[in-house]
Amino acid sequence: MRKSNKGKKRSYVGLSVLSIVLFFFIWWLFTEGFLGTIKANVLPGPVKVFTTLIDKFSNKNPDGALMQMHLWASLKVTLSGYVIGCLVGIPLGIFMGWYEKADIFINPIFDFIRPIPGIAWTPLFILLFGIGMLPKVIVIALAAFGPALVNTYTGIRQTKEVHIWVGQTFGASKFEILTKIAIPSSIPFVLTGMRVGLGVAWSTIIGAEMLAATAGLGYLINLCRGIYRPDIIIAAMICVGLIGAGLGYVLTLAERQLMKGGRW
Amino acid sequence: MLDRRAKGWQKTAAAVISFAIFVSVWQLVTLNPTIHQVMPGPFAVLQKFFLSFAEPIGKNTMLMHMLITLSRWAVGFLAATVLGIALGLAMGWYPKFEYFMRPLFELVRPIPTLAWIPLVILWCGIGEFAKYTLVFIGAFMSIVQNAYHGAKSVDRSIVHAARMLGCNDRQMFFTIVIPASVPAISAGLQIGVASAWSSVVAAELVRSSSGVGWIVVTGQQNNNMTQILVGILVIAVIGLLLALLIRKVEDVLCRWNKRGR
Repeated sequence: MRKSNKGKKRSYVGLSVLSIVLFFFIWWLFTEGFLGTIKANVLPGPVKVFTTLIDKFSNKNPDGALMQMHLWASLKVTLSGYVIGCLVGIPLGIFMGWYEKADIFINPIFDFIRPIPGIAWTPLFILLFGIGMLPKVIVIALAAFGPALVNTYTGIRQTKEVHIWVGQTFGASKFEILTKIAIPSSIPFVLTGMRVGLGVAWSTIIGAEMLAATAGLGYLINLCRGIYRPDIIIAAMICVGLIGAGLGYVLTLAERQLMKGGRW
Repeated sequence: MLDRRAKGWQKTAAAVISFAIFVSVWQLVTLNPTIHQVMPGPFAVLQKFFLSFAEPIGKNTMLMHMLITLSRWAVGFLAATVLGIALGLAMGWYPKFEYFMRPLFELVRPIPTLAWIPLVILWCGIGEFAKYTLVFIGAFMSIVQNAYHGAKSVDRSIVHAARMLGCNDRQMFFTIVIPASVPAISAGLQIGVASAWSSVVAAELVRSSSGVGWIVVTGQQNNNMTQILVGILVIAVIGLLLALLIRKVEDVLCRWNKRGR
């Protein structure tokens, strides 16, 4: 029984390989292959996209900057906004989760603001601060702030009562219960919030750069729409996906490192 | 503190007080003439909001803009719900299908919805269909993901019991797997609602000639802060209502599964 199961599994992995190969083959077949009916300014073939992707790291045409410059421009804004969002969101989440009196006052306003997608704030801050780096950093901070706050808040609220009772029995002050019991036990939630927030921030920056920017991946993608260069668009989308997945992976690793003791 | 929850009326009172403080601080700050030049007060925004139902912004009144945006949202979201749940469940339940589809899905998943906007415009033009597609992409990913996990984590003992009682494959899928995945599916729908909403707003911000996102972006182009704030207000209210609606749907569908909720 066991052996046959294992054999089955191997044949399934074959299916995965087949699906990827088939995907690229069909893509290639209809663009660059024998059935090449789709024009390159609608959907370029995989080979073309790949060469464009490599080439863009050393070719400044058509937008006047290399891919790595765009990457850095987007990353810089995302990371600064993200750090600000977390630095505000996590402490506020702890505060709101712990002090109910503050919670019932802040929560209604926060509930009202939360459904607004980060990207919708972009025009407002552009009008206030111009199209430099600052408005985008604020937008990203707002986008990352929400998930960081909500998850931290949930984490604090889920502190086990038994643990609090133990603390009280041993004579811990309220502040000690907060710092030694509630905050440590909320860390898994905080990290989840940080991971979600980073994803949202990365997605928001791409949108924000389409609205107003002079560099960045979103800017590059939107510019290439105007000049019918879908090969660069797809190449840049691949970069966006890779960086996004990479950032997520880094946080997952950090989470695993911090959570070595398991979810307690 | 954690152990004592506030009563309902206290919460309502606190909410009213905090909104009152918020509005009055906003009003007081904008009384300052320099700030007033860039930032209108809350009452100016509210006035403009109510006026916009009678006086059109661009070609349409506010109600039309709302309906246009909502119709874009609804078409994309419904399509994503139907296809996403079907794909997710099939992927979670049939291993062969999972091994075939999952790599393709994982290939596309890390790309944020907003990054699709230019490509979708290039392929579908700037009409309604491009917006439907973007909303679809936005909601689809999280719906598939959650339905997939739902079908994957169906309680094995239920499956074995059904198998033992002579359940065939089709019955297994329709009477065991689908109902058991409903909580996970509705979690996916809740995320999907929000991301579909943010996709439609973003799509309208980047390229459109109507809708609430368009109101915001033309406000920026005409240097009209009041219009931007009206747009953001509408986006917030509709987003909130949609989230409440889907939570209500979940309450009805998952009545049997209230684990301490």
